[in-house]
Amino acid sequence: MNEESMGLALEMKGVRKSFPGTIAVDDVDFEVRPGEVHALVGENGAGKSTLMKMIAGSFDDYEGQIIVKGREVRLHTPTIAKKFGIGMIYQELSLARPISITENLLAGRLPRKGPFLDKRLAKRQARSLLEGVGLDLDPDLPIEDISQHEAQLVEIAKVLGNDPIILVMDEPTSALSREEVERLFAIIDQLRKRGIAIVYISHHLPEIFKIADRVTVMRDGKKIATKPIGEVTREEIVQMMVGRSVKEFYKRQERTIGEARLRVKGLSRFGFFHDVDFEARRGEILGICGLSGAGRTELARVLVGLDRADAGSIEVDGSPVRGSTMAEHLEQGIAYLTEDRKIEGLALRLAVDDNILSAIIDRLSSASVFSKSKGMQRVRALIGELSIYPPDPSRTVGNLSGGNQQKVLLAKWLASEPKVLILDEPTRGVDIGAKMTIHSSIEKLARQGCTVLLISSDLPELVGLTDRVMIMRKGHFTREMDYGECSEESLLLAANGDVGTGEGRAS
Amino acid sequence: MSDNRGPAPDGATDGAATAQADTRSVKTGSLSSLVNTAGVYGIALLFLVLGAVLQFTGAIGNFLSPQNLLNIVDAVALVGIVAVGMSFVTYSGNYADMSVPTTMGLTGYICIELLRYGFIPAIIGAIGVSLLIGVLNGFVVGKFKANPIIWTLAVNYVTMGIIRLVWVNKQIYPDMKGSSPDVVALFDAIYRLRFFKLIGLPLVILILLVVIGQFVLTKTSFGVKLKLTGSAPKAAKLSGIPIETVIMTSFVLAAFTAAIAGLAVTSLSRVGAWYNGAGYDFKAVTAIVIGGMTLAGGRGTILGVLGGSLIIGILNNIMTLIGIGTFSQDMVRGAIFILVVGINAKSLRSLGRDDA
Ligand SMILES: Nc1ncnc2c1ncn2[C@@H]1O[C@H](COP(=O)(O)OP(=O)(O)OP(=O)(O)O)[C@@H](O)[C@H]1O
Ligand SMILES: [Mg+2]
Repeated sequence: MNEESMGLALEMKGVRKSFPGTIAVDDVDFEVRPGEVHALVGENGAGKSTLMKMIAGSFDDYEGQIIVKGREVRLHTPTIAKKFGIGMIYQELSLARPISITENLLAGRLPRKGPFLDKRLAKRQARSLLEGVGLDLDPDLPIEDISQHEAQLVEIAKVLGNDPIILVMDEPTSALSREEVERLFAIIDQLRKRGIAIVYISHHLPEIFKIADRVTVMRDGKKIATKPIGEVTREEIVQMMVGRSVKEFYKRQERTIGEARLRVKGLSRFGFFHDVDFEARRGEILGICGLSGAGRTELARVLVGLDRADAGSIEVDGSPVRGSTMAEHLEQGIAYLTEDRKIEGLALRLAVDDNILSAIIDRLSSASVFSKSKGMQRVRALIGELSIYPPDPSRTVGNLSGGNQQKVLLAKWLASEPKVLILDEPTRGVDIGAKMTIHSSIEKLARQGCTVLLISSDLPELVGLTDRVMIMRKGHFTREMDYGECSEESLLLAANGDVGTGEGRAS
Repeated sequence: MSDNRGPAPDGATDGAATAQADTRSVKTGSLSSLVNTAGVYGIALLFLVLGAVLQFTGAIGNFLSPQNLLNIVDAVALVGIVAVGMSFVTYSGNYADMSVPTTMGLTGYICIELLRYGFIPAIIGAIGVSLLIGVLNGFVVGKFKANPIIWTLAVNYVTMGIIRLVWVNKQIYPDMKGSSPDVVALFDAIYRLRFFKLIGLPLVILILLVVIGQFVLTKTSFGVKLKLTGSAPKAAKLSGIPIETVIMTSFVLAAFTAAIAGLAVTSLSRVGAWYNGAGYDFKAVTAIVIGGMTLAGGRGTILGVLGGSLIIGILNNIMTLIGIGTFSQDMVRGAIFILVVGINAKSLRSLGRDDA
């Protein structure tokens, strides 16, 4: 090794990894210095996660050289990778759900007293790890009882607990609220000062300009360039990512808004939200904005029949929604795209087409015989419309890149042609181009008369896409803003109760 | 490895362009399941050859005699009938129905008791009671998310207790309940029916069940819902699939085929006894996993399960001919079970992280 690579925390030379039918990473050189935040960007499916899984020891059949602290290593298992000080925060949460926070945090190194588990010490260690990421939770809770963004922070705490010297974060902020993102950036800053090498993957370019020192752009499995962050503009990055120049924002098109479709009166679920009244019309995109814990997701779950309302009524097209199950609500036209795609959204082990058709099985069946071929035209059309890559209906969804999984999830609900579609963070983890595609699909759906409720932490998305935004605070609807009044600042202020602390971007 | 990423140099997000470029991708899903099913039958064939070799070396007698082959077929038919129904439970992600042994036993008792009211009422009554057990299992597991193994094991013991209590530890015989001799004779004869002096009724039933089961699993809306429920219960639920009902149905199907097998055993042995179904739980699960249906749910075929039953049947026969006791036979089956489950888990892991 020469002197230059001695100073690097990690160096990859000519690495390559292929899957059946795909070369995911093709002859890539990549390096990270100690104390550097190195951003890795690229479109969905560009190969970012695959490149990073290589150093996390996920594959035993990659080609090329990986050099850690000047020494060539073969990172063939996660255990080896961990031994060399590599910590990975996966794009998809990887915590064991029915197990307590403590056991997840300290997996593999639970403190012992003789042959027994030292519970008190374990709990204390867990608590201090949680404090490190600013969480105040009972470490005995099982993971499935805490929210998505809390789970994401627990995952970060877990990896930090192993004292990594190289830390990879694959879209760590896609499940976090704005306050939590700020907290994470503060943590990253401390780690950088301690000389830890950090790889940071994100589709959110402003974040990258905020914390990265250098940026590497990937496209189609190849590295396009590595640049100090001061030497590139946002436009240049985007251009390198997609290989041509693009308009970044979707141009709003005129839509006609029809008569009332969804009418909600005095809806309450005690402890979550109270006395919620609103009306949404045909062809309208209605935004719901609020901080984490404001009750938005809970409201969605009641509207779609997953949880029971304690009071109030829901009407679709003038008739009250009957039944108390999701299946019944869906039948009456209310559909829900969940914020969690891995467990609640998709069947990762099944194929793309199985997933896209999963909400319309009965409609594709006559006399209980299911006709998949009847649905295949729709599947192909949606794969094309959302440019799901690879465009092969028989691929296993779990093998798609994160952003493409998100598109499959959206395709499933588009295929169901609902009267009311509730979208909970529909563009989580998708790249800039795909975001525009998804936005135009949502608009197209609205133009066809569907009522869309959009829950999003992405303020530009709320501002740009909706006709009206309802502000939710502590379980109540406090304000309503029309398209004209809406701006990122006004939404933030309203979500915080006009106190203007600068927090916001809730989940 | 050819590069068919479909580079589309200046239009990577253009769906139409990439759609054309990527037509060569492999359909791993259906292909691998075909290979797996063929593999199961290959192994069954190997066991047949093993039996023949053992006979030629003189280790066992008469493996290839027509009578012995017929015995194998009959044994396979009974295990297969139970396994086909139970495989729906496995496919739904709920592992197995361990209440099968006493469900089989109970159907025998009920049927014999009811023979005095005629043949048809007896059969219907017996099957009806077993369906109730299926409904109970399905309700508790589906609705209250009880651990399926623990719950059905408990039901197995409770049913056993009830049988022993009601029939005061006695076995009962078809001709001792004052039923008309004609009905008794019919019940006696029915499972001994041999079409063309060869094909027994259980085999006919098994083949029918396999054909229907395969159809239900792959072609009906219930089958598609079951696949989703077994692969990802939460996502299935949030797609509007009534997973409680789907799980309930799978337990009812398991109880139904257990009842049919229970009636067959009762008819063939001419006795209603609590031990009539002993061992069928484990034989069936082993047949199911050998047949390529994974315990994680949502994977496998009924055709594969039939192959698994064949293997179990042949293996049992060889072990009996060699003179291995039932206890040791259980151990051999247990070892095979662990081996298969282990191999499955490992091969899944090497395909990437399994989400199960
Ligand atoms: N286990 C797998 N089997 C087959 N193909 C895979 C597998 N994992 C990834 N791929 C393919 O490799 C390519 C790169 O995927 P990767 O997950 O690295 O993308 P990414 O850059 O992280 O995208 P995203 O931003 O959407 O997360 C994609 O075409 C994907 O379909
Ligand atoms: Mg990724």
